[in-house]
Amino acid sequence: MNLQWQGHEEIAAPKERVWAFINDPGSVANCVPDLVEANVVDTHHVDAVVKVGVGPVRGNFKLKIELDPQADGSRMNLKISGGGFGSVVDLVAGADVKAAGDASTVLDWSGSATMRGPIASIAGRVIDAQAQRVISTTFANVKARCSS
Amino acid sequence: MSTTEVPTNGRHAMGLPMKRKEDARFIAGKGRYVDDIVLPNMLYLAIVHSPYPHAKIVKIDKTAALAVPGVKAVITADDLAGVNLAWIPTFHGYDKQMVLAVGKVLYQYQEVAAVVATSREAAADGVELVDVEYEPLEPVVDPFVAKTDKTLVREDRENKTNHIYHWEVGKRAETDAALAGSEVKIKERVYFQRCHPAPLEPCGCVADMNPATGTLTLYMTSQAPHAHRTVISLVTGIPEDKIHVISPDIGGGFGNKVPIYAGYVCSAVASIVTGVPVKWIETRTENLTTTGFARDYHMDVEIGATKEGKVTALKVTTVADHGAFDAAADPTKYPAGMFGICTGSYDFPIAFTELDAYFTNKAPGGVAYRCSFRVTEASYAIERGMDFLALKLGQDPAEVRLRNFVRKDQFPYATPLGFVYDSGDYHTTLNKALDIIGYKELRKEQAEKRARGELMGIGISTFTEVVGAGPSKHFDIMGIKMFDSAEIRIHPTGSGIVRAGTKSQGQGHETTWAQIVAEELGLDPLNLMVEEGDTDTAPYGLGTYASRSTPVAGAALAMAARRVREKARKIAAHVLEAPEADVEWIDYKFQVKGVPSKTITMKEIAFAAYTNPGPNEPGLEATYYYDPPNLTFPYGAYIAVVEIDKETGYTHVRRFLAIDDCGTVINPMIVEGQIHGGLTEGYAIAFMQEIAYDENGNNLQPNFTEYLIPTSLETPKWETSSTCNPSPHHPIGAKGVGESPNVGSPAAFVNAVMDALSPLGIKHIDMPLTRDKVWRAMEAAKTP
Repeated sequence: MNLQWQGHEEIAAPKERVWAFINDPGSVANCVPDLVEANVVDTHHVDAVVKVGVGPVRGNFKLKIELDPQADGSRMNLKISGGGFGSVVDLVAGADVKAAGDASTVLDWSGSATMRGPIASIAGRVIDAQAQRVISTTFANVKARCSS
Repeated sequence: MSTTEVPTNGRHAMGLPMKRKEDARFIAGKGRYVDDIVLPNMLYLAIVHSPYPHAKIVKIDKTAALAVPGVKAVITADDLAGVNLAWIPTFHGYDKQMVLAVGKVLYQYQEVAAVVATSREAAADGVELVDVEYEPLEPVVDPFVAKTDKTLVREDRENKTNHIYHWEVGKRAETDAALAGSEVKIKERVYFQRCHPAPLEPCGCVADMNPATGTLTLYMTSQAPHAHRTVISLVTGIPEDKIHVISPDIGGGFGNKVPIYAGYVCSAVASIVTGVPVKWIETRTENLTTTGFARDYHMDVEIGATKEGKVTALKVTTVADHGAFDAAADPTKYPAGMFGICTGSYDFPIAFTELDAYFTNKAPGGVAYRCSFRVTEASYAIERGMDFLALKLGQDPAEVRLRNFVRKDQFPYATPLGFVYDSGDYHTTLNKALDIIGYKELRKEQAEKRARGELMGIGISTFTEVVGAGPSKHFDIMGIKMFDSAEIRIHPTGSGIVRAGTKSQGQGHETTWAQIVAEELGLDPLNLMVEEGDTDTAPYGLGTYASRSTPVAGAALAMAARRVREKARKIAAHVLEAPEADVEWIDYKFQVKGVPSKTITMKEIAFAAYTNPGPNEPGLEATYYYDPPNLTFPYGAYIAVVEIDKETGYTHVRRFLAIDDCGTVINPMIVEGQIHGGLTEGYAIAFMQEIAYDENGNNLQPNFTEYLIPTSLETPKWETSSTCNPSPHHPIGAKGVGESPNVGSPAAFVNAVMDALSPLGIKHIDMPLTRDKVWRAMEAAKTP
């Protein structure tokens, strides 16, 4: 099962603060809803355990998150891979990061994910809605923490 | 009639609607299935499955799993390689298959490792903690893409191609010429989707190695216990006398319990290594995703005809999706099974069919799901084809069929694709169906409804099956000839035990086998105990699948009973003090010729066999191994009447009539039950079921929330009737019936739906005809 998303987010914080926040793997991981634990491996990698509940498929996913920032600070690429209870998720995403005035930042982002295993077959009909909930919650958390 | 009642006059057993003897224990919850077997010190086995459809295995880390309290072992392909069991031969021996994944996984849910533990829970916990690192590879899930060989499924094979084999039968050039010269031609592609037998009880086993005796006892869900024992011996090197296969009560098989699966092998290895019993019971998801599927044939059907509607030629070209291994359950010399039956009930002057099979990253299989080796696919192709032809000709599909049937006087009838049909009267059977259903009135009603814009359809399927493999000169499984066997022992008091090499999975053998023997010997069927499924006691047989039990083992039973009767004649002659030549079998007892007062019953002879045999060898028993001279050819005429809701696409099956001709009927009530069950499965295939994969190789129907089973709410009301043309070469004239309704009904349903939709210009929709597919087709038809 292949899923694709894209979106536009405005964060009420200067670009430098947003850029610094999304370059911190621990901060990014802690914005993911239903996080069980996060272990920062290095400046670009974090291993996370996330509770997943999609339809009848419920359990913990072990995920490897890799941040790949462009040196000029204009774009952040992201890879997430892992899974659990016989399911696998591979996600690739990227966000163009632009300043919108002195106190605001815009993220134009897109992502695609490949799902395999019961999460695709059993939960396939509801996974897209669930994934969009995770994405929106994650961005809400990023906004809140960058703005505070 | 209750199970305690004796059939009419206590002797005439054949053809009576005896209630099933076995149901007394099933209704009381006293059936004994594999999962009911609990042995001392038993361990439990659970399996790790791949989430990927195609991936290299980088490493398997057992450490965390082995740390789970109760986990005793984690088995991988490397461990199996140590005992030469990493690979085993497939059903017909042309390919080999991994037991556990060797180096890479080839389909989603493939077995990767097995965890053995002291409880099911510990085994399941261990499964979660076996850490398998994969390197994903591009999957190929479409056989038409597999044809390109861009992605290779099986790098282990010498031939670096996804193409498995090409098979053909008939005369290609003459058929092509006949088609080219035909006044009317149709060529259409129909797909018989991948579906699954989904028996109520999934597969399982208890492997019990006795270190003291060196005997491996396998309690397993086996439709063919003897064949499995031989295969296990050949593959493992364990002497066959040290392998004891017991197949207890089985909750449905439908072909699914013919192949050897990873759980069986791993349990046996685990028991041999640990010296204690090991149980493996499959989950529903494991059953649907890893065990033998059925069908998955893409068929191009070409029919030529005169403009009057007389067929001139048939050509069927098929692409078969076999999944990751060539594990199709077909006899050795018939890689596409009996697909040559695709000429159906029709008198084609010439025909040709060919098939190419391909590997894909899907579960392997191709089992004979309630049909005799690809007969359902062939039947569907020709029955859809005849409706396409009727549509092209603008003629009634019943008329087209009646015009082209093989006539009664043509039997035995040699088809252009090599079969010799034994007996039949297709015209009578279809005409009976048309009369019962009220065909003319239904067509009139349909015309009126069409005038009002309503969608009503009538679908006909007049199939011919081929069952009873088989003549051993043609049919074998891995070299083992497909005969079957029976053994009868009559006790001194006139009761007895009947054993056969078959194995009932719900067919009612305990009743029908007793009826056959009772009929031949004039005994009470209620006092004939039938035993199957234990290789230490039953005579060697090839098992129950492909509607072969009655055509082969049923014949063996009748012949063994006749041997008993001949022995009994000698004892009767002694007791009646008459020459053997003067002793006749009349009215279910022996009588001295011309002296009606001098008679003796079989029950009396049984006592004499042990107390007063005279010059004869004591005892009264016989064994018979029956090698049929030909296959049998049951047939039927099915008619479905449907109405379709234009707003939702919902199809209501208003009526369904099945007229079956299975030759001599042993027990009409059991036959009716078989037909009801098969029609219900046929309905599910036509309207509800498909094992589909997405573009990433995800199996989308891994449980019963997605792979739907019809309940009493969905199941239509079945109307049944019969005609009877006995098989001339079968000792009692029986042909087999259990699979006919599954073979014949899908085409009747689809033909009915397409007939309903024809005013909209819709010619074909592939099964399953779910309401959303029908609705989408209707919406698409609105677009100019």
